[in-house]
Amino acid sequence: MMKRKKDKKKFNKNNSNSLFNKSNQRQNKSCPLSGKNAPEINYKNLKLLKKYVSDTAKILPSRITNVSLGKQKKLSLEIKKARALALMPYVGE
Amino acid sequence: MNYYEHTYITAPELNNQDLDNIRKKINEILEKNESKIVREEDWGVRTLAYQIKKSSKGKYNNIYIQGNNKVIKEIENFERYDERVLKFLSIRIKKIPEENSELVKST
Repeated sequence: MMKRKKDKKKFNKNNSNSLFNKSNQRQNKSCPLSGKNAPEINYKNLKLLKKYVSDTAKILPSRITNVSLGKQKKLSLEIKKARALALMPYVGE
Repeated sequence: MNYYEHTYITAPELNNQDLDNIRKKINEILEKNESKIVREEDWGVRTLAYQIKKSSKGKYNNIYIQGNNKVIKEIENFERYDERVLKFLSIRIKKIPEENSELVKST
């Protein structure tokens, strides 16, 4: 066990500037739906919801959109409501 | 008492009489259970994102209800077996919004 832990640490240190690590800028980006002036997530607000859906009408993962966990859960719920009412498609073209 | 938001989509070819009939039935159910409509929104005829019962357009009717869960069950039961209603969705909400949503027909 001890050996493994040491190995891991070394691995991280060596690769801190490598291509495989995400750049610091991206990690610092905050959630666009949290904060004071954030828009309200509602299934009637179609303009907002369409931003977080791919061309094939799939819900985009939060690792791409940087939405926080709580807001992502709410977002996916509201998108599903909009789908049920045929305001948004289940399947894109 | 809870607040509910209820939306139902009707076929676009319906005349005013049919729409009134549906609304009357809903009102009857509401009165029977001592509930009422607090607010209404008309979203107009919109193109559906996918076909429902072979129609590609639908008229959206949105009502806000103050009542208990029995009312919602009865309304949904009525709409499920009514051929004029294509689809419906009811959601429990905490507060009734004061401003119109973006879907309200601007004309």
